[in-house]
Amino acid sequence: MSTVAKQPAIGGPATAGLELVGRRPVVGSPIEVIFRLAPGDRPLVVAGDALVAGAPIAERLRDPGVTELAANATEETARAGDRWMGTAPGGPRLRRGSAAEAGELLFENGGRWTLAGGEHTEPVESPLSGVVRDVRPGIGITVRAQGRVLHGVEALGDPTSGRLSLGSDRGDHRHPAGGLRSTSLDVGLAGTILVIGSRVDAEALTRARAMGVRGVIVSGLAGKERRDFLASESRQRAALHRLPPFAVLVLDGALRRPIAGPVAAVLEGLVGSTVALVVDPPALVFDEPGFEVTMPPVDHIRVRSGEHAGREGQWAGLAGMRRFTGGTFLEAGWVAFGGDPPMPIPLADLERFV
Amino acid sequence: MSDPRAFLALDLGTATSSAALIGRLAHRWRLLGSLALPAGIDPDAISREVVRRAVAADPALARAVGLIEGATGATGATGAASAAEPGGRPAAVSFANPPRLVARSVPPRTILVCAANARAREPFLDAARATGWRTRDASADRTNPLELMRALLDPEVGVLLVGAGDPPGPDERRLVDELAAIVSGAVARRPDLTVILAGGMADQLSRLEAAGGGDRRGEILLGPAATAGDPAGSALRDLLEDVRGGSNDPRRAAGRAASALADVLDRRVELLEIGFDGGVRASASPGIGGGEPATMVSIVADAALVPPDPGDAIVDRVMAWTTISLDRHRLRDRLRELRLSPWGGVTGDGARLRLAAARAAMAILVEATPGQSALPAPDLVVVAGGAFASAPGPAIALAVADVVRRPGAVAVAYDHARLMGPLGMIPDGGERRQAISDLVDDMLAPLGTIAIPGGIRAGTSAGRLTVHAGINASETDLVPGSLELIDLPPGETAIAEFHFRDMVRLGTRGRRFAVDVSGGLGGLLVDLRDVPLRMPERAERRRELLDAWQESLWMTRDR
Repeated sequence: MSTVAKQPAIGGPATAGLELVGRRPVVGSPIEVIFRLAPGDRPLVVAGDALVAGAPIAERLRDPGVTELAANATEETARAGDRWMGTAPGGPRLRRGSAAEAGELLFENGGRWTLAGGEHTEPVESPLSGVVRDVRPGIGITVRAQGRVLHGVEALGDPTSGRLSLGSDRGDHRHPAGGLRSTSLDVGLAGTILVIGSRVDAEALTRARAMGVRGVIVSGLAGKERRDFLASESRQRAALHRLPPFAVLVLDGALRRPIAGPVAAVLEGLVGSTVALVVDPPALVFDEPGFEVTMPPVDHIRVRSGEHAGREGQWAGLAGMRRFTGGTFLEAGWVAFGGDPPMPIPLADLERFV
Repeated sequence: MSDPRAFLALDLGTATSSAALIGRLAHRWRLLGSLALPAGIDPDAISREVVRRAVAADPALARAVGLIEGATGATGATGAASAAEPGGRPAAVSFANPPRLVARSVPPRTILVCAANARAREPFLDAARATGWRTRDASADRTNPLELMRALLDPEVGVLLVGAGDPPGPDERRLVDELAAIVSGAVARRPDLTVILAGGMADQLSRLEAAGGGDRRGEILLGPAATAGDPAGSALRDLLEDVRGGSNDPRRAAGRAASALADVLDRRVELLEIGFDGGVRASASPGIGGGEPATMVSIVADAALVPPDPGDAIVDRVMAWTTISLDRHRLRDRLRELRLSPWGGVTGDGARLRLAAARAAMAILVEATPGQSALPAPDLVVVAGGAFASAPGPAIALAVADVVRRPGAVAVAYDHARLMGPLGMIPDGGERRQAISDLVDDMLAPLGTIAIPGGIRAGTSAGRLTVHAGINASETDLVPGSLELIDLPPGETAIAEFHFRDMVRLGTRGRRFAVDVSGGLGGLLVDLRDVPLRMPERAERRRELLDAWQESLWMTRDR
């Protein structure tokens, strides 16, 4: 069963020149998601394993350190990346570093292995279902995600999952002024992934995380808020008792603009469904086989950047080279917004949905 | 097609795709049209549009170069359109599919440069920075083994350059073994990692090969010492360039095109290209006595229009050139948007912001290539790259004058059709020179001549300038600290006679100079500002000054 309504092909008189407008996929096909590992982290899965959402896939080492093992502590066949465990209560003699009962072999020098280990670990869970494609200790776990994806330009935080919810009932996510105030958050939103309009500030993000919100989807995240949130996230990672993973998915960029209509329609259709936010690549993954994505008309155009950023209209043909404010001459296309006469917009500022 | 009468030169960059249609007319290649658009757009669509416009503009010419297959009304290989016949009646025509000459950018790659200590690492790092790599660095004496291993295992690092003196210096010997051990540990886990063992580290080859096993996809290469070759360091640079992109890298190809251009014009040529993922500076001198041209090419990844995650240093650099009143946070946001959508938001103040970012990138490029700055001043500077795609020609000339502060008089031209890369891809040197010889007048938009006298003293007047163009002569008073703009249209040449009150440098030292100058979109720009350029500390005053300088050269801007 097809779950994407087909668009008519480009080629008719009404769509002439439309192929010179950049394409943006509304939803994409399944992707490979990477969960990064650092030296010392312990993978709990092997290639070929089938995962269900919430399954632990690795143990992340907190405050890793290095230990140099004695020459007789390892077997001849030991290789970098192998797990090592102490064998007896007395264990092999450690030449340098603190005692470690287990860890990951890093490198051998002069017949002695150096080990990355530590006392405390924390679980890494897969927020999505899929199949493990590759496991590389110290590097990452690659999982072929089950379901379709909605791509963003950046994701911050850790992979997470939750029930999708609109940040407010007023359709603010489709409005340029739509945003999230920290005072509008309450514990009733715990476990959800919130869709927010054009911008969000770091205070609202940290409060959302503290309230148990699992993630936020926003159109734009300003650099200052991004930096503050990353600093907060870093402090949170250093804390002894960590909160559940939290992620921010940025759909468009750093400036204020509403979520694109066709993307907002998908998100509205997924309200109440469990979705995952992943960081590498930045995307929302949803596994709803029965959900049909309604594609906009083929001539539906969105202004991605520039003075009309966020507006959506209908393609009305190529306009050729035009002079724009600021004294620049750019290739342009005619776009009709609502019932207004078409106006020329630089082709480079436009996007169409496929 | 064995003997094409037209072809498409495609430059497929990371941010920009361009197509230039070139046809053979009267026994020489001519540029018939070009179009550049964001890279996300299908290059076939751009090519079709260029051909369609050429056919629509001049069907007879299009037919002469074989772009029209017939007026059948059927859709041809690349599409169909209505083109006006000479009689004025539109007719449906089918287009031919011209052969293509393609220069496709290689994705940017990251190299980790490691050595026992910072002193040993620096020359290797310099070589990597000059050959287009995004660089990271580490040294065994400053980085703990866990951090070093983490850096080595980062999947973004595609190539590892481990270097040591040949032989290793006394301060390196103690750490070389440990460094080799850590690298071996990483090599065992990353079969995809290409490793270059340079200088004294070559002795560790057997150890790394043993660690890597037999199923490696990445290579383990032996590299020369950091100072090997003539000139010193060239051997390592050649190797690093080969590993990064090989001879098909469009930026190296642009260097070859600059070399051919120098040969064709018999002039010293400098190419300055600022692109999305880096910049190129190529300095080429014509061959002497039939010899090959001498060319020095530096590819600097840091000289990108906007780096992937613009930090404070980049924001400061751009802020120093911007004429827009923005605080640091908003400027950083605008730069991040520019990175995400390099063609977006060019209207309004976007073009000025883009040009400020281009100036900052060009300054990085110039700072990273001191060896080329020390060469004799070129006769012609060719500006290229998507960073300048939306800027008016005279404003580009001013950007060059702002950043490349070298006393002398140079002609400036712009590679408006983005042909330097594709033409540099022509494998045969003779054919490349011939193509550039045919196209040189079409492919380079003349921006004018910049004259920068060095050593001007403050005062009310530095002297006088008389420009003899044809039978006309114009006189201009030379005011220290000012920019004098003398109208000299493209295609015109003139003799500029400078009479200075004091000794200045204009190529050589003297008071009186007669310089051949060529016209362009910006005319003759006599730059009497300080060398190097000194700007006010206060941001507001600096913006006003930059704005005033741009005012006279950005003719089309809103006032």
